[in-house]
Amino acid sequence: MPHLDNDRRTGQNLAVLAEALYIANLLLIPVIGFAILCYLFLTQYKQAPPLARSHLEQTLSASLWIAVLFTVFAAGILLLKNFGMEAVSMWIIIILVFTMLHASMVLLGVLGLAKAMAGKCWRYPLVGKTLPDNCSRYDKV
Amino acid sequence: MQYQSQAVAKPYFIAAIGLFVGQILFGLIMGLQYVIGDFLFPEIPFNVARMVHTNLLIVWILFGFMGAAYYLVPEESECELYSPKLALLMFWVFLIAGALTILGYLLVPYATLAEMTGNSLLPTMGREFLEQPTITKIGIVIVALAFLFNLGMTMLKGRKTVITLVLFIGLVGLAVFFLFSFFNPDNLVRDKLYWWFVVHLWVEGVWELILGAILAFVLIKTTGVDREVIEKWLYVIIALALITGIIGTGHHFFWIGLPGYWQWWGSIFSALEPLPFFMMTVFAFNMVNQRRRNHPNQAAVLWALGTSVMAFLGAGVWGFMHTLAPVNYYTHGTQITAAHGHMAFYGAYAMIVLTIISYAMPMLRGRKAANSGKSQILEMWSFWLMTVSMVFITLFLTAAGVLQVYTQRYTDNPQPFMAVQERLELFYWMREAAGVVFLIGLIIYIISFFAGSNEPEQA
Repeated sequence: MPHLDNDRRTGQNLAVLAEALYIANLLLIPVIGFAILCYLFLTQYKQAPPLARSHLEQTLSASLWIAVLFTVFAAGILLLKNFGMEAVSMWIIIILVFTMLHASMVLLGVLGLAKAMAGKCWRYPLVGKTLPDNCSRYDKV
Repeated sequence: MQYQSQAVAKPYFIAAIGLFVGQILFGLIMGLQYVIGDFLFPEIPFNVARMVHTNLLIVWILFGFMGAAYYLVPEESECELYSPKLALLMFWVFLIAGALTILGYLLVPYATLAEMTGNSLLPTMGREFLEQPTITKIGIVIVALAFLFNLGMTMLKGRKTVITLVLFIGLVGLAVFFLFSFFNPDNLVRDKLYWWFVVHLWVEGVWELILGAILAFVLIKTTGVDREVIEKWLYVIIALALITGIIGTGHHFFWIGLPGYWQWWGSIFSALEPLPFFMMTVFAFNMVNQRRRNHPNQAAVLWALGTSVMAFLGAGVWGFMHTLAPVNYYTHGTQITAAHGHMAFYGAYAMIVLTIISYAMPMLRGRKAANSGKSQILEMWSFWLMTVSMVFITLFLTAAGVLQVYTQRYTDNPQPFMAVQERLELFYWMREAAGVVFLIGLIIYIISFFAGSNEPEQA
């Protein structure tokens, strides 16, 4: 089974799984998706090939940053509420900012998933860790 | 261009772009009428501007689909089109019928138009998006039949591929569901039910098949990825589109007098409707990542990727935003619907037509594969200007919609409709400004066809 051997060598399946869990956490199973991703990171990271390692790192780091972003956003809203902001203005901000943030994060996940499926590394803009040098060696051209 | 008869696509594409310009101009007029109520009144009243804006949209998209099919089917079937003459004849019939209809809207009061065109013999006029006189609707059916006959005969004599099959099923569906526009029952509930059979089952049903087929064709050509891989993706996407989209029609049945169970069916299935668009985005980016060559027409690749992203945002995300019955109870028919409509139509259907035009037009104009670098740079500028301004139009309309829902529906002391409209004025102005940027993008798009036409192709 050369195909399976190749997957094991490059860690492509694990990379795809990491990206899928990142998206699932945002769309279908919030928190649970993140918990499984953490479990995967803790159990697989050390022995994983560079491609899978990179995707595990990227998705975990991006998920954590998303949690921080949403917490800061929620705190900002509470602060505005305490300063007496009109309820309707608050709802406009909540719906627009949440939709834009959430949709952008999902789209970045889609890009990451597409890269993983193509056996390539991918760095989440701003929130992703710098890619290791040895990652690109496993890219299929 | 591999087959001579593919050339019939060119007039369809030119007409599509011309009508697109008309649609945007009337959109801007109407956008201004939201804030300056008597702008161009009585020459172009708001209801007429709106009718022209939406009807031009449908007609130019249909021209685009037809052009796409006439370009794509001979190449996929590996044979000449069954009858290029019939295709050209139908082009002129459709264009003249369309132009006369728009002139009718603009020059004659709607009721007089109905009288002049014999609407009383078979009443079909007066419904949103389907305002065309009955005689125009009959003309559309004739054009559609001739079009399907021409394509069907071409496919029968040539190679059968998944792309042509999916495209053909989508186009047959488009024609079949249009027939519900002739059914105009007196009962308002049934009237609305059948009206949605046209409107919803077009845009959230069979049109998605056409979109998927065109996208798959362009991706095969520009990435060099195996046809088998792309076809498997296409199967999954169209299956998801039909599974979610058909019963998803129920989200239009919440408040029109149909049984309450539609609130469950409609909510559940339409909540799943973003799935095919999500898959389409993964599909497009995955194919481009696995490409075996760099196609010289980078503008077409950009349009293809942009289509998948914008369709996901407009149809998927903004559709989901107000599709669950408890939310839709407050939001239906507000500016939130308008926000979703704008981004979904642009992202899914306007952009896929622009994708195939971008891919095919260089060959139709005698080039080998792509336009010059200068032309492509301009086209990419137009892509970004139109797309970013559409994002802003959507955001401003969403903001207006939230304010509208809150002050007119959600509150204990709802304000009257016109009082709320006044409060939305700032958002309407911002939407109009974004619309002007969109028009600038469109003008640059048209200029890109003429710029650098004497320069060599992009390598």
